[in-house]
Amino acid sequence: MSDSIAIYVARYRPGEDDAPTEQRYDVPLSADLSVLEALNYIKDELDPTLSYRWSCRMAICGSCGVMIDGEPRLGCKTFLREFAGRGELHLRALDHFPVERDLVVDLEGFMGHLETVKPWMFHEAERPVAEGEYRQTPAELERYQQFSQCINCGLCYAACPQFGRDDSFLGPAALTLALRYNLDSRDEGSAERMPFLNADEGVWRCTFVGYCSEVCPKDVDPAAAVNRGKVASTINYGLNLLRLAGGKRDA
Amino acid sequence: MKRSNEPIAWSLFGAGGMLLALIGPGLVFTTGFLLPFGEPVATWHAVDAFIAHPLGKLFLLAVIALPLYHTVHRLHHGLQELHVPLPHGLVALLCYGSATVLTIASASWLLVR
Amino acid sequence: MRRPWRPAQRWNWWQHNPAYRRYLLREATALPLFVYALVLVSGLYRYTQGQLAFTRWLEAMQSPGWLAFHALAAAACVLHAITWIELVPKLLVVPGISGPTIKRGHQVAALIGSAVIVGAALASWPLGGAGS
Repeated sequence: MSDSIAIYVARYRPGEDDAPTEQRYDVPLSADLSVLEALNYIKDELDPTLSYRWSCRMAICGSCGVMIDGEPRLGCKTFLREFAGRGELHLRALDHFPVERDLVVDLEGFMGHLETVKPWMFHEAERPVAEGEYRQTPAELERYQQFSQCINCGLCYAACPQFGRDDSFLGPAALTLALRYNLDSRDEGSAERMPFLNADEGVWRCTFVGYCSEVCPKDVDPAAAVNRGKVASTINYGLNLLRLAGGKRDA
Repeated sequence: MKRSNEPIAWSLFGAGGMLLALIGPGLVFTTGFLLPFGEPVATWHAVDAFIAHPLGKLFLLAVIALPLYHTVHRLHHGLQELHVPLPHGLVALLCYGSATVLTIASASWLLVR
Repeated sequence: MRRPWRPAQRWNWWQHNPAYRRYLLREATALPLFVYALVLVSGLYRYTQGQLAFTRWLEAMQSPGWLAFHALAAAACVLHAITWIELVPKLLVVPGISGPTIKRGHQVAALIGSAVIVGAALASWPLGGAGS
């Protein structure tokens, strides 16, 4: 293993640059150094003007997502040793999001999409605390557990060409979140969420590219969730036709 | 947000995709290689007897219509994804419209026999 | 000062990522299979014109161009079947049956399905029409 590695970072300074340009930093190489730690080294030792996001260093906060050699990955979960053979790697801000500065992207739109699908519990009638908690069997937990592991890192949006083409698409994480609540036995809010799944901007913009599931650092499999959402939306569509045929109102 | 009518196109796409996955390779091999190299008179009688049967008609309609809807669905989305500068509505009309016209034509030809 | 940089997606977005290229190859199977469906429609149309017309159509299908096309369509259909069945367990969730089992079941069904079609055809008419 050579003693240093060249890290090319796409820098973008609003007001100064018209578009990002790569800047090279040489970072000492060690087997246990993560890309995030390399960025910290650059910031502390080489260039204090570099901007990037991070917090937990252990793949749970979801803030250090960047494009590493063109793939959306978490900086804290990717190690420099993987690139030692080539002696270089290239970093840029997550694709498909507006770049604010260097590796920092604007996540407002993404957060808005998450909120759109109403990711919280609905109950027809709130139960008094005295009646105890809402209980669930292991089998009922199993139905949605995988989809509840999302850390909102946005890697799946950087992986999704449909979101890249048109960011009105609610996208993998938001649609997975909707299904996570719809599959929860304690929730009674499916009817609140289905209108968003049923829309073009909902599950129907997805063409099952499947790359979102490949890049997900928590193995949530958003592509499976979105496409099960299509099945749910198709059933909902059929039921609505029956309702219309019965002279009832369009829902 | 407005309800999408995509479930209709997607259901037909799904049915066609499943049909092509389960019998497609055998079907292409049969009509592409076994049919042209069959003994002509016997082949004609076999095809004629097949189409005379109601289940034969149904089978043929399924293997024509469902793959049509399956493939035009993918082509329609693919053209959009490759940023082909044609109006979305026009592409949809050409794709699903041609599949529908050919399905109706095939159904009527099958019924005439 | 905020001045976010947001490039529009270009038509060649898929060129630099193998996952995207694999995806478009999967979608591209629709092209030869669409033409194949048109071939079936044309064959049915020639059938409605009677035995002579249908036999002419069969002869046309013996040309090297059409044989090459059917080889391409068969390859596309095999690729379609493999990639399609790969994704089935993501949509079809049956309690008590694992994803890999559902996938294996569909693979076996596909092998049987295609074999039955070919077997039925071989049983229905004798071969030996080439050059007639």
